[in-house]
Amino acid sequence: MTILNDPPVQTSPQPPSAYSPGLGKKVISWLTSTDHKVIGNMYLVTSLFWFFLAGIMALVIRAELAVPGLQFISLEQYNQMFTMHGTIMLFLFATPLFVAFANIIMPLQIGAPDVAFPRLNMLGYWLFFFGGLIVIMGFFTPGGAASFGWFAYAPLSNALYSPGSGADLWFLGLTMGGLGTILGAVNFITTIFTMRMPGMTMFRMPIFTWTIFITSILVLIAFPILAAAFVVAFIDRSFGSVVFAPENGGAILWQHLFWFFGHPEVYILALPFFGIASEIIPVFSRKPIFGYKGLVFATMAIGALSVAVWAHHMYVTGSVYLPFFAFMTMLIAVPTGVKFFNWIGTMWRGSVVFDTPMLFTMGFLITFLFGGLTGIILSAPPLDFHVSDSYFVVAHFHYTVFGTVVFLMFAGIFFWWPKITGKMLNERLGKIQFWLLFIGFQVTFLVQHWLGVQGMPRRYGDYLAADNFTTLNIVSSVGAVILAVSSLFFFWNLIVTWKTAPKVTVDDPWGWGGSLEWATSCPPPRHNFTSLPRIRSDRPAFDLHHPELAPPGVHDQPPAVAGQQGSSQ
Amino acid sequence: MKIEGWLFALGAGFYFVVAGAYWFLSGDEIGTTALVMTGALAFLVSFYVLYTSKRVFPRPEDLQNAYVEDADPEYGFFSPHSWWPLGIGIASFFVVLGLIFAVWLVVFGVFVLVVALVGWLFEYYRGAFAH
Repeated sequence: MTILNDPPVQTSPQPPSAYSPGLGKKVISWLTSTDHKVIGNMYLVTSLFWFFLAGIMALVIRAELAVPGLQFISLEQYNQMFTMHGTIMLFLFATPLFVAFANIIMPLQIGAPDVAFPRLNMLGYWLFFFGGLIVIMGFFTPGGAASFGWFAYAPLSNALYSPGSGADLWFLGLTMGGLGTILGAVNFITTIFTMRMPGMTMFRMPIFTWTIFITSILVLIAFPILAAAFVVAFIDRSFGSVVFAPENGGAILWQHLFWFFGHPEVYILALPFFGIASEIIPVFSRKPIFGYKGLVFATMAIGALSVAVWAHHMYVTGSVYLPFFAFMTMLIAVPTGVKFFNWIGTMWRGSVVFDTPMLFTMGFLITFLFGGLTGIILSAPPLDFHVSDSYFVVAHFHYTVFGTVVFLMFAGIFFWWPKITGKMLNERLGKIQFWLLFIGFQVTFLVQHWLGVQGMPRRYGDYLAADNFTTLNIVSSVGAVILAVSSLFFFWNLIVTWKTAPKVTVDDPWGWGGSLEWATSCPPPRHNFTSLPRIRSDRPAFDLHHPELAPPGVHDQPPAVAGQQGSSQ
Repeated sequence: MKIEGWLFALGAGFYFVVAGAYWFLSGDEIGTTALVMTGALAFLVSFYVLYTSKRVFPRPEDLQNAYVEDADPEYGFFSPHSWWPLGIGIASFFVVLGLIFAVWLVVFGVFVLVVALVGWLFEYYRGAFAH
């Protein structure tokens, strides 16, 4: 444990807690909260709930696919399972998780007392909460939940082929949740523009804050299109308009609109978590981040390019201009490669320590690299034609999305848990969880590449013994069980930590934290800081706690007339 | 605020160029429209931010050598807690369910929504936190 080895650093005074309110008052304080940390924690808990619910759906899917024949559920139920698994994982788990981390950490990192619009922040949460409730209510309707896949292609998703209110609930519930995400993005951009502390110039912001900024811009680009398309699809279903009718070219129109949202969405999921990796690697390599500006420009380049690659999901429609999208897709691998280069450059010749957050980040680097490589394969139309809609694609996007979101979610949770709760999660249980998660994940999804190459299509509930898919499917299902077991260690860890872990008394329990959240108490007071350090570099907390290494000017007395010395950058 | 504005201006330029190239190469109306609108979105933000940045003094958060004391002491008002976000959330819940299941629920939901919106807007016009 780093805590024991490090010299204790100065601690911000804890605000005196006058009294501890009863449970009812606590619940009401959560329901009416406008504190970005409380709202962020509510986002975190809610999205984790959805994560485990959709994880159970994944287990049902893997159980059904383990051997040929239908054992547990009907084909229609299978369709509902994979649709809701994908929907929940993307819209109700990964996207709100970005909002959760952004809410909890971003205002701390720029030295702000809260976000710019506290009540709007809470409204975003309630729209996500009730939107998710509406989506899941589909399971309690007579026709069951939506069953047309998470991208709801027209005409399959129209009233003729998908009757029943489950699909209506799906469209409008997700529109509501999407509206909440848009409000969150507006809030984050305004906060980053107007509430940074003095000296925190744009190019001194932590990389995580940069990724939140770029991600919020992508949300503003992508989610309004999604909301509009979903509302129009609902009007098509309920009031008989024909915007997405195939005889008007509506099928392709839907695919264009959906993927114009859908591809930026992939980077909305990935970029904030790249930001988490960029925060963790320097701390556990004991080095400043390598190529700060390179990372920022790579983030911007990914954000810009991600809007121009949407139709690589539509190669097999035969209605898109292939060279443009193949070129743009291959181009986006370059800034992503720059990021890898920077992360490795940060570790290079550093004193790398494998605390749990770093371990999960290593898991991300390996897993995401595989996903990126298969992404290059899929970006080439001649190769994509052969494996499109097969398990190769399923393996590819699980490697990318699981690799970033889940591995780095756990990395971020272990890293920032002292900031969230004031306690350190158990390292030993965390390491057991990591290895089970890592091995379980690779066993589940690596074999799916070969299943796809052999021709197993995605979204089929069953296959024949004569297809020769059985062995690899059994391997994959066993891996899924290992994956599920790993989450039990996480819950156990939460309980053990809650019951037995000592309170963190220092500002920076990891000892080498760089950004401003490590310059306040664990957990921070209501408006985040009792005092702020002076900003003279891109890692002010490190300068504060390690004065011998700080750049000049950090610890000097300020001049008598402050503010006259400032020079425009 | 110059950097913030130029970021969006760069984005606007990029999207307009890509939209032109895409239109020239593919002739696809849907994607071109979406790209042009994206460029317009970025242009709108960049124009506003750059326009504002010309009319304000350099803010302490834009200065390399600023001191914490340089920040405006009148930092702003932060809502301490509020019931109205929950009210609007519940109202939207009713409206959405009503659109799918029953018209009367939409009417009821819109009523709750209006009440919650009025409550939200005028929350700090009176009471302990009036300003």
